[in-house]
Amino acid sequence: MTEDTPPATKGRTVTIAVAVLVLLVGAVLVALTAFRPGDPGTGDPEAGFARDMSTHHAQAVRMSFIVRDGTDDAEVRLLAYDIINTQSAQIGMMTAWLDEWGLPKTDPAGPMRWMSGHGGHQGATAMPGMATRDQLAELERASGRAAEVQYLRLMVAHHRGGVAMAEAVLARTGHDRVRSLARTMVTGQNAEIAQMNRMLRQRGGTAV
Amino acid sequence: MSKSARNKNARNTHARGARQNALTQRETPWGPIVFFTVVGLVAVLAIGYAFVQSRPSSADDRPSIAGLVTKDDLDSGHTSAAVKYATDPPMGGDHHPTWQNCNGRVYDAALRNENAVHSLEHGAVWITYRPGLPAAQLDVLKGKVTRTDYTFMSPYPSLDSPIVLSAWGNQLKIDDASDPRVDKFLRAFVKGPQTLEPGAPCDGAKDTP
Repeated sequence: MTEDTPPATKGRTVTIAVAVLVLLVGAVLVALTAFRPGDPGTGDPEAGFARDMSTHHAQAVRMSFIVRDGTDDAEVRLLAYDIINTQSAQIGMMTAWLDEWGLPKTDPAGPMRWMSGHGGHQGATAMPGMATRDQLAELERASGRAAEVQYLRLMVAHHRGGVAMAEAVLARTGHDRVRSLARTMVTGQNAEIAQMNRMLRQRGGTAV
Repeated sequence: MSKSARNKNARNTHARGARQNALTQRETPWGPIVFFTVVGLVAVLAIGYAFVQSRPSSADDRPSIAGLVTKDDLDSGHTSAAVKYATDPPMGGDHHPTWQNCNGRVYDAALRNENAVHSLEHGAVWITYRPGLPAAQLDVLKGKVTRTDYTFMSPYPSLDSPIVLSAWGNQLKIDDASDPRVDKFLRAFVKGPQTLEPGAPCDGAKDTP
C-alpha cells in the first residue's frame, strides 16, 4: 500500500490549500478596503470647493432676488428665477456632500485655501467675482433699466469667478460627483455669461 | 491471498483509516483547530475593519468642547412680540419672523435678541462680546466672522463673560478670543447638525442692528 498517497497526507494538502486560499482572499479584501479611495478630508479641494461655492452661490441667489424686486422686465426676471433655483439646489447638493463626508461646513482658517496651491500656504484669499457690500446696496437702490444693467454686469463678473472656481476644482480632483457638478457649472455659467452680455448690449450697456 | 488474509488486510486498512480520519479519531486534532481558528480570526478582523471603515463617523454629532452648555426642546415659533429668554444671551426659543443677516457680519451695536435667535435657527453662530473687550481680541473675532459665512457678531452689554458663542441650543463662554475652542465651536455649529432649517439663508433680511 505504500504506492498510494496516504489519505491523511492528501487530506492535509487539501486543507492547507483551502486555508491558504482563504487567507489570500482575506488579505486581498483587507488591502482593498485599506487602499480604497476614501472620502475627502476637511483640507482637501473637494471640501473647500463645496464650502466656498456654497457661499458664492448664496450671493448670486441674493442678487437675483434683488433684481426681481427692482424690475418688471420679463427676460431679466426669468434669468434671475433660473439662477435662484439652480444655485439654491446646487448649494443643497454641496451641503449634502459635506454631510456625507462628515466634514464641517466651515473652515475657520478662511475660505479659498484649497485654490492656493498645496495646503494653501498663502492663507485665505478673496473669492473671485463676489460683489462688494456697497455694490449690493447700490443694486438694492436701483430700479428698472438701471437695476437690470447693474445686475447683468455684476452677475457676469460673478459667473466668471464661479467658472474659475469650478475649473480649479476640476484641475484638482478625480471625485466623480464633484467633477460632474463642476462641469455643469462651467458649461451652464459660460452659456449664461454669453446670454447676459447679449442682454447687456440690448439694454444699452457694454458687454463685460 | 487467502480469504482470511484479505479480511485481515481490510480490517487493517479500515483501522488505519479510522485512526487518520479527523472525524472519528480519538486524539484531539490540534492542527486543524489552530489552522481554522487563525483563518476565522483573520476573517473576523477583515470584516470588522471593513465595517469600521465604511461606517460614517459619528464623532462630530456631539462635539466634545469643554464648557459647552446645551439646551434641548427649545420653542421655535414666530412672534413679533418681545420674548423672554431663559438664558442671556439666548440660544434658541420663539423669535421674530425677520432674521438678522448673518453672512459674516460684524455689527457695532447690540442686536434685538428676537432677530438674532432667528439667525441661529438658520444655522448661524452668533458671537457676542462684552463692550470693553481689548481691541486686539476684537480684531481676532472680526477677522474670523468676516471670512466665515453663517456667522455674525455684536456687542452685548449684559454679558457675564467677555465673549459668548451661541448656536441653536448650544452655548460657550470664553475669556479670550484666541481660545482654540472658538474654531472648534465654529467647525461644529456653522450650518451644523443643530440647524433647525438647513438651507435657510443668512442674507436678505434685517441688515442693521
